[in-house]
Parts: sequence; structure tokens; C-alpha cells
Amino acid sequence: MSVQILEEIFKCISEGDRQLVKGKVQAALDAGLSPERILQEGMISAMAEVGRLFEAGEYFVPEMLIAASSMQEGLQILRPHLAETGIKPIGSVVIGTVKGDLHDIGKNLVAMMLEGAGLNVVDLGVDVPPEKFVDAIRLDQGDVVAMSALLTTTMANMKTAIEALKQAGLREKVKVIVGGAPVTDSFARKIGADGYAEDASRAVRLVESMIC
Amino acid sequence: MQSETQCLYEQRLTRYVTALYNGKPDRIPLRVFAEEFAAKYCGYTNYEVAVNHELQFDANRQFAAQTGIDAVQTNSVVNWFGMQKAIGWDGITFPGIGLSVDDVNQWSEPTTEEEAFLKATEYDEFIDDPTAFLVTKWFSRFTRHINPPGGLVTFEHNISFINGLMAYNKFFSTWGAKTGELIEAGVVPAVGSVLKAPLDLMGDKLRGYVNLCFDLHERREQVIKACEGLMPHLLNLVLGGADPDGNIPSIIWMHRGSVPFISQRDFKEIYWATLKPILEELWSHGHQIIFYAEGNWDHHLESFAELPEKSIIFHCDKTDIFKAHKILGEKFCISGGIPNELLSMGTVKEVQQRCKEVIDAVAQDGGYIMDASALIMNDAKIENVKAMIDFTLDYGTYSQAGISSSSLEDMKNIAKPAPSGLKYPEQKRKPGVCIPWEEKRNELPGFEGDERLARKVWEEVDGMGYGYCWVNLTW
Repeated sequence: MSVQILEEIFKCISEGDRQLVKGKVQAALDAGLSPERILQEGMISAMAEVGRLFEAGEYFVPEMLIAASSMQEGLQILRPHLAETGIKPIGSVVIGTVKGDLHDIGKNLVAMMLEGAGLNVVDLGVDVPPEKFVDAIRLDQGDVVAMSALLTTTMANMKTAIEALKQAGLREKVKVIVGGAPVTDSFARKIGADGYAEDASRAVRLVESMIC
Repeated sequence: MQSETQCLYEQRLTRYVTALYNGKPDRIPLRVFAEEFAAKYCGYTNYEVAVNHELQFDANRQFAAQTGIDAVQTNSVVNWFGMQKAIGWDGITFPGIGLSVDDVNQWSEPTTEEEAFLKATEYDEFIDDPTAFLVTKWFSRFTRHINPPGGLVTFEHNISFINGLMAYNKFFSTWGAKTGELIEAGVVPAVGSVLKAPLDLMGDKLRGYVNLCFDLHERREQVIKACEGLMPHLLNLVLGGADPDGNIPSIIWMHRGSVPFISQRDFKEIYWATLKPILEELWSHGHQIIFYAEGNWDHHLESFAELPEKSIIFHCDKTDIFKAHKILGEKFCISGGIPNELLSMGTVKEVQQRCKEVIDAVAQDGGYIMDASALIMNDAKIENVKAMIDFTLDYGTYSQAGISSSSLEDMKNIAKPAPSGLKYPEQKRKPGVCIPWEEKRNELPGFEGDERLARKVWEEVDGMGYGYCWVNLTW
């Protein structure tokens, strides 16, 4: 029974069945499965599979979005139980779209995928000035800063934010990753970022490689 | 006798149209889509051109005339504070108003079901009568001030419609006058009417991309029917504004049909299935269209190759221009391929090198138009854009004279296959009509004179109202 219900949760999330997933998570809890096991074996593993399928070209953004949304539905049921058992996220990411840029679809998808991988996400929103990233790191809110830009006109503000972290003496404390349609790996290196990811799935793997 | 600029205009038009029809002119045409870059080039801030619509036109004309390019968009940034904020569009943010004066204008779209302009439960209503849906539901959600039927008719509600329409008329009357000024300056207006793909419109202006992604899984048949329902209206709009001479192409701004935004299956079964018939119809009426293919469309080039020869001009943003040339170059003109990142962060030498690579590989037999990959914003360096232009003026000259205007007419006069036709669910209201004459006629007293005269006027006026409603949606 326990393996079967975990498989059903895995299927609901990886195939994006948003309606069923809550009931399945509740059923798993009712059956006495530990919240941590449900999270790891039923949910996080499903999101890892979604990432794999995306990178293999079998899944596209809609499939990834609906899977991430299903994960969020399941987490609504699971979260109070996780809090009770004192399970901590594996790390924390401060994420935002840089100053002057109001685009948020890509940033939101990365945030959802990071949460789906068991990370805590502090989403600063869009049009985020450098000092807001600095404040979040000063308050110990993240192991990683993830910045997004969709415009060539706002890419330079990623560099400004990195400089602000340096000036505040916080640069060594965090890893910085960047992404967005016009951003490239060479641009990331040029501005002194620690990493670049071309899509949400690769962003998850990049963050995991930095904090694990 | 023709003036110098009239001669220049004729020469540039012939050069541009020859390339559009995949021919070999005397030189590679330069058609540069300079958006906020044109403002920067002329010394204006982005804020200034956002609020002063005349500057939007003047900046582009000055930029084109001073740099010697052949064709340019009549208007550089197209969005005008006066028009869009009069009726209360919330989805656009202008530079200098919530952003710095040198940021660019930006669109936002619904990301939750609560924010959606078309709710998930309203698909059938939309499919049944899209025009009525726009008027009764969509306007009140898309604009800040308009109230829905049954809501309060406030001062703000009424004045928003009045001011919005007055500003719209001002903008488009300016458009006509400024097009004349552009031609007088010897520059070709690069594009005519505008089209959007039905699925793009569903994402941008009706459901929001995120909601649409869920719908593709959870209410796929309704998405398909809604896209089909949009087809006749979008055709009506793009045909209505197309160049009657068949010289200047229409344009389609394509963005979310590419990988990874939708799957290959969604592309074939929805995006392409509801776009291709519109393009075939447009071509059967003698109008080309520029595929302004934002993003990377490498996966779909074979689908585009299905279209009739010369019917499109394929513009490369992130698409591999060399691959596009290989697959599409025999049938269609290609444009673009000079990365905006290079214009912004590269050197003059790097820009020249890239232009040479593209010209050598893509333009040897004609059928290529030089342009940046995407709309050029104010981050581009002036010396880099000038390098792209000057290099093409020099290196892009063919060792032959341009073709004559009579040969050009022959080139354009090619057989066009019969379109397969638009198939869409039956709708309560015909495309192009808000209130049909038969309905209006019933509320009027008997006619003493020729009813046909009044009917003609009514249908013309009603058609303009229809156009205003739909242009708000498709902008």
C-alpha cells in the first residue's frame, strides 16, 4: 500500500494531475507514511523526473509548469506536517528579477522548480534594486542569489547587484547565479557570477551542486 | 520631374521589394527595426518618446534618413502613453512612470486565474460570440476604468471610452501623416498591418501564458475551439490594413509558439493549425507577411517551408540563421541574424565580422535583408549599429544593377495557390460586425430614401467600432 500510494503521488505530480494530488498526499499521511518519505519519494523524485524529461526534450514549459503547480498543491497538505517534524529545507535561495525589468514568468518557474526540489525560496519579485538583494543576504535569507533578466537593457543591473554584494562584504557568503533569455554563460562569467542556467531544470541542478 | 528623395524612395522600394520576393537587388536592403534605439540616436529619453507620440515617428525618420537605411518602421516604439492610459490599460508600464526614464516600456499579463481576462469557465461564451465577449467582459478586466454591463456607469467609465477613442484616432491620423513624411524623406515604411497567432493572443491578452499552459492539459478542446474562433477576426484585421499595392508586407510578432514554450504537439495541432490558414488566405489576396520570429524556431522550420513560395519573410532572432537559410532560403527571403547582445556589448570589429559571416552564408543569391535579431533598444551602442549599417552599405553591394520596376511587377505577379479555407465554430456575430444592419434597421422609422445609402454608412461606422475593439485586444 505504502509503495503504491507513493507511486500514485509521483504519477500525479509528474503527469500534472492537480486535482488528485491533494487527496493522494492526505491518503499517504492517513496510511501512516512519514511526511519526509512522502516528500522525498513521492514528490521531490517526481519533480526530478520532470526535470529530466524537460532536459531530454520530452517535456516543455507547460508540462513543467503544471507539474510544479501539482507539487504546490501537494505541499499545501504536507507543509504543516513537515513543520511538526522539524524537517528543514536543504537550502535557501533568494530570487528576483533585476531592477528595471518587470518580467516574471521565467523567474516564477525557476522558483517553483526550486521549491519542488525541496529548497526554501525567498522571492523578492520584479524590478528588484541591488540593495534589496543585499538586505536579504544580510538577514541570512539565502545560500544562493538567483537573478533573472529578460531584456538586454537590464542585464547590466545583474552586475550592479553583484557589485553591491561585494561592497556590503557579503559576496563570499553567497553563490550568485543568473539566467533569462538574453543571458549567456560567458556574460555570467564576465560579470563575476558563480553560475548560469539556461532553463529552470538546469537552475535546480546548478543550485544543488552549489549547496550540497 | 522627380525630386532627389523621390528617386531615392523609388530606388529603395525596388531594392526592398526585390529582396522581399527572394530576388537579388543591387544591394542588400537595410531594414532596421530600431525601437528605443532611435530615440537614443536622436538624443531623446525613452520617457520622452513614450509620452510624445510625434517624437516616436520623428526619431525613426531622422535615424533612417541620417544613416542611409532603406526601410524602417513608421513608428519606433508604437505604444503611446496618451492612447493606452486614456482608456486605462494596466498591462503596460512606461519608462519614467514607475520605471526610470531610460528603461523600456514593458507588458505584463495575467499569471493567476483571478487575474485572467478570460476565465476558465467562460471559454464557451467566448467561442460563441468573441466580439460580444470583448465588449461585455474583456474591456472591463483589461482596462482600469471600464465597468462591466450591470456595473455603475460612472463619469470615469464614460470618459475613459471617449478619451481612449479620441486618442486612438489622434495616434492613427498622425500615423498616416508621418508615413507621408517618411516617404518624402526617401525612406520606405517597412511594414503594414499586424497579425498575431491565435494561441499567442490567448496567452498574451486573454488567459495569460501560465493559465494557458494549464488549459493545454485540462481543457485542450476549448483552447482549440477558441483559437479557431479567433481566426476569422484576425484575418479580417490583417487584411483590412494590408498594403493595397502589395509592396509592403504585413507582420506577425511570433513568440510563444517556439520550443520550449509549447510542445511540438501543441505547435502542430494548435499554434500552426490555426495560424497557417490565415497566412494562406492573406497570400491568396496578394499580401506577404514578415515572420518576426522572436526566440528560437529551429524546431519548426520544416513547418514554415510548407507555405507557398515567397509568401513570407522569415526573420531570425535566436533561430540559427544558417539553418533557416538552408531550409527556407530557396522559397523565402530571410532577415536579421545580428545579435542584439553583440550590438550592445560587442565591438565594431565583432559586429562587422558577424555581418560578413551572415552575408557570405545567406545573402549570396539575394533574398536577404539586413537587420538586428530583435528590436533594437537603447542599450545598443551607436557605433555598433552604425557599423552594421555601414558595413552592409559597403560589403553588401551586388555586382549587378537593380531590377526595373516592370520586372519587379513580374516577380510579384506569381500564381498563388487556393487557400484551404478557415474552419471555425459558428459564431453569433460575423467578423467585422458589432451590430448588423438588420438589427439597427428595426429600431429606425421607415425609409423614404434609398436604404442602401444609410446601410453603407452604418456598416462602415460599425466596422470602425469593431476594429477599435479588436485592435485593443491584438495590440
